[in-house]
Amino acid sequence: MSRWRFLGHRFVAVPLALVILIGGWNIYIAFNDDGRIRGEVRDGTGAPVPGATVIFFERNFINYQEMKRTVTDASGAYRFDGMQVHVGQLEARTADGRLSARRQLRLWFRAQNVEMAPLVLEAPRG
Amino acid sequence: MRRAPSWPRHAIMIAVSVLMLIPFYWVLKTSLTGENIYAYPPRIVPVDPHLYNYVDVWYLIPFPRYLLNSLIVTAMAICGNLLFNTAAGYALTKQFPGRRWIVLLLLSCMLIPFQATIIPAYLITAQLGVLNTHLGIALPLLSTIICIFIFKASFESVPRSLIDAARVDGLGEWRIVVRILLPLSKSAVATNVILTFIWSWNAFMWPLIVTRSPEMQTLPLGLARFLSVLEDTTGALYAFVVLVLVPGLAIFLMAQKEFIRGLTSGATKG
Repeated sequence: MSRWRFLGHRFVAVPLALVILIGGWNIYIAFNDDGRIRGEVRDGTGAPVPGATVIFFERNFINYQEMKRTVTDASGAYRFDGMQVHVGQLEARTADGRLSARRQLRLWFRAQNVEMAPLVLEAPRG
Repeated sequence: MRRAPSWPRHAIMIAVSVLMLIPFYWVLKTSLTGENIYAYPPRIVPVDPHLYNYVDVWYLIPFPRYLLNSLIVTAMAICGNLLFNTAAGYALTKQFPGRRWIVLLLLSCMLIPFQATIIPAYLITAQLGVLNTHLGIALPLLSTIICIFIFKASFESVPRSLIDAARVDGLGEWRIVVRILLPLSKSAVATNVILTFIWSWNAFMWPLIVTRSPEMQTLPLGLARFLSVLEDTTGALYAFVVLVLVPGLAIFLMAQKEFIRGLTSGATKG
């Protein structure tokens, strides 16, 4: 029993706790860093919108620039793969001029897999 | 006879502690919110705190690289300090011709500011061929005079008879230091470790001079680079400051008892 008492010493316990914490975090990252961003596009009534274009904007030092775009499937779902980012914005638009508000995306680590809340399209103004 | 209540003293100490902790709190709060530090009226409680500024710091600049460089340099400086200061401190406990002059020389060297020695230090480092290396950055911190005196004071407080007994038992000088003196000088070791850690971790001017490539930069240099690259990132900047501060604070909090004991024993017996 006394052999392991040194583990309770603060000079051992604190670095050990840090190592366990950092190790655990990195293991979690290793299993969740495919860069998969998924979500849905819906209209004002909550119905899915197929064929909508979803654009991902990447942050550079000054502003946001378009990085990638995809189109929603028949169920209104979209998906980006291999996104090596930790911050950005998402926006959906349709051919008839409907547009969603830009959704801010902030992740806990680069390429984190994330399920976004639905992007809601608003009717074109005017 | 009734003793005076201790709560007024404690109340004053708590008030002073809170005052001294306000800057730390402000840095932490700004790192969690990113709000403008000039906002008026200032908010005491953080609004919508989050940790994303720390994520930004990790990815927007090569923070892991700076951290690794700082860790390597600090580890080298601590190892060098323990080795050289122990040897020098032990030597100064001995009686030999010129000892007094060496002590005077060391004391007078403490009066020379580091800035005045930068050019010769740079030339020596260049001659050794260790510019732009971890060893080159750690070189001036491999031994510090004040820590030599802390070891000297600590070693002198060990009873002479103990060392004589060890010598009679056949222990050599190094084994006397390692087996007898160092285990009895834990507070001096802790003081050395903490002081060297703080000096090495916060060193700015020497690493700035001796490093040539961004890959060799340490955290304080990274902070300066961060400021020059990113202007409108108050939250990320303060998050960077917190990340630089945390290891030093952690080391100090872990070893504060030994640190204070080591400093006071150095002050009274030097």
